Amino acid sequence: MTSYSFFFSYIPFIVEGALWTICLVGGGLGLGFLIGVPAALSQVYGGRKLKCMVEFYLRFFREVPLLVQLFLFYWGLFPSIGLKLDPLRTSILVLGLRSGAYQSQIFRSAIESIEKGQLLAAMSIGMSRSQALLYVILPQAFRISIPGWANEYAVILKDSAICFSLGVMEILTRTRYVTIATGMALLPYLFAGILFILLTNFGTGILNMIYKKFRIPGLIGV
Amino acid sequence: MDFWTEFLGSLLSGLLTTLQMILIAAPAGILMGLLLGTMRVYGGRVLSSLALSITAVFRGFPLLVTLFILFFGLSEIKIYLPPFWAAVIGFVLCSGAYISEYVRGSILSIEEGQSLAARSIGMTKLQEILYIILPQAIRRALPSISNEIAYMIQYSSLAFAVGVQEIFSISKTFNSIYFKSIEIFSVLAVIYIILGEISTYIFRFVEKRIRIPS
Amino acid sequence: MLKVEDLYKSYGNVNALNGVTFSLGKGETKVIVGPSGAGKSTLLKCINLLIKPDRGRIFLEGEEITNPSTNENKVRQKIGFVFQEFNLFNHLTVLGNVMIGLTKVKRIPKEEALEKAREVLNMVHIREDLWNRYPSQISGGEKQRVAIARALAMEPVLMLYDEPTSALDPQLADEVLQVIKELSSMGMTSLIVTHEMNFALEVADEILFMSDGRIVHTGSPTELLSSPKHDLAVRFLRLGGINGFLD
Repeated sequence: MTSYSFFFSYIPFIVEGALWTICLVGGGLGLGFLIGVPAALSQVYGGRKLKCMVEFYLRFFREVPLLVQLFLFYWGLFPSIGLKLDPLRTSILVLGLRSGAYQSQIFRSAIESIEKGQLLAAMSIGMSRSQALLYVILPQAFRISIPGWANEYAVILKDSAICFSLGVMEILTRTRYVTIATGMALLPYLFAGILFILLTNFGTGILNMIYKKFRIPGLIGV
Repeated sequence: MDFWTEFLGSLLSGLLTTLQMILIAAPAGILMGLLLGTMRVYGGRVLSSLALSITAVFRGFPLLVTLFILFFGLSEIKIYLPPFWAAVIGFVLCSGAYISEYVRGSILSIEEGQSLAARSIGMTKLQEILYIILPQAIRRALPSISNEIAYMIQYSSLAFAVGVQEIFSISKTFNSIYFKSIEIFSVLAVIYIILGEISTYIFRFVEKRIRIPS
Repeated sequence: MLKVEDLYKSYGNVNALNGVTFSLGKGETKVIVGPSGAGKSTLLKCINLLIKPDRGRIFLEGEEITNPSTNENKVRQKIGFVFQEFNLFNHLTVLGNVMIGLTKVKRIPKEEALEKAREVLNMVHIREDLWNRYPSQISGGEKQRVAIARALAMEPVLMLYDEPTSALDPQLADEVLQVIKELSSMGMTSLIVTHEMNFALEVADEILFMSDGRIVHTGSPTELLSSPKHDLAVRFLRLGGINGFLD
């Protein structure tokens, strides 16, 4: 029984890792948002050259494993341009770039699902294209995207565990330390898994609340 | 040039391992997804709750956690899985859980009329599911399943964490010796992109072959 | 052949069937008419056990099929059902739709099944060049005739038609009604729910009027056209909004 109490004494240590995890997730989602929206707009409204570049970016960040991207940037690309980033910041950057690629797809399909009539109506009351975008298209697109966004949150949360490979002190890294320290494996990892599930439910719960608050009544698909 | 021949040579054997993992885990994962999805829609209270629990757990746990539980956790209770099989089982459980959601969704999207018609010619529930519902559900779920397998190919890299000598693990080793990081991981990236494209191509081919003309 | 005794069925507050009783002899064709919501479709679906009645009994060829110990699937093999929305199996060709009941339910070898399929498809006048098409590639009238063929392939003793032409354009409806007429005159015991009054008068041995879950009036075509009750029948039909009644 002493090994159990031994483990329990490490629980705060593991749960502290949630702070790093949330950092990774928040940073990744935020950066992804800042990249994803322009990328989506480029795909829907952009010229050929712009579209090409965006497609290339999307290709790379959606078809290459996160693990490979982390190592490529940390050990290769960042040092080569003289950037000395610590594991945490590198992870957030890579997660953000990756999430941006996925989020751009979410926004893109949301924008495309808004009927042409909306844009025409906006322009017919004298709005310029950018005004129509800002006041009519994007507000609707964002609301439509919320479910997809909630999904992206769940995905990034699980992907954050992969950052253990760079040594970021998030939940999984700490759990591994605990398994070495206590010699136990099953209990710590089960605990970590449950912690992730709790964080997932908590996050999607909040997002659901936001979704309900901002819903457009009667709009199909929202 | 010595580095390259060594690296590419080792990569080849690693590639073999990666392919073996995927070629076993992909069909198994799809089957598991079909089974779980069907259980959730047609199972009684017991079966569908069971399927729901399994799905919830393996969609909620990060794949890495599942792998660690299978490899390190189980060995604690005297079940010793070799790294390769721990990885494969982990992939099957994870993908199967996600695929079961797609299957469930596509089954529910099939109009009630199909079920009524099946019963009206005397089919039992099992016959109805096997011959009428599932053939249509699988076709509808195929794009999502293809997507999920593409993910599986990417996440196969995580097998390194339990000691499988697949392509990422080998690249990592070479990186720690030679530090030619950009070259090493760029090649790796390209390999994964190619694998992903091949898989997508295969699924698109299958989709075309079994499409219902309209 | 078919005896329905005192059938009741309700969904929540809605009483779909309020004590329906009638019978159908072998080779007879009866038509059920009435306003929407009268319970006609529910009645038909109770007979082939797609819906379980709350109260009442149904007898097919003398045996009680509402008995809990009955094998529903076996019963449904003996009753052919044609839906308003066709419900052809989307993933199977015309031939596939007709054969699947034979190969998978009756477990007949493929060659025999093919023979039988040919037979019934010819009976409903579906040309051979359509046999390898998919449901989405044929017209509504063709779809419904294939649906009839699918039901016929199982060699039923009773055919139930639930508003078989309501989802069809008038031109396409005729070819389906023609087939139903032929089958009826060949001796197929049939129970048809329809709005097509002309057709009903031509094909029925007896017409049953349903309203609010009950059979309120019955009569043979000749009776309806000649007897004093004619007025009542007309009134019912007009009330129910059924047009096309000969006047």
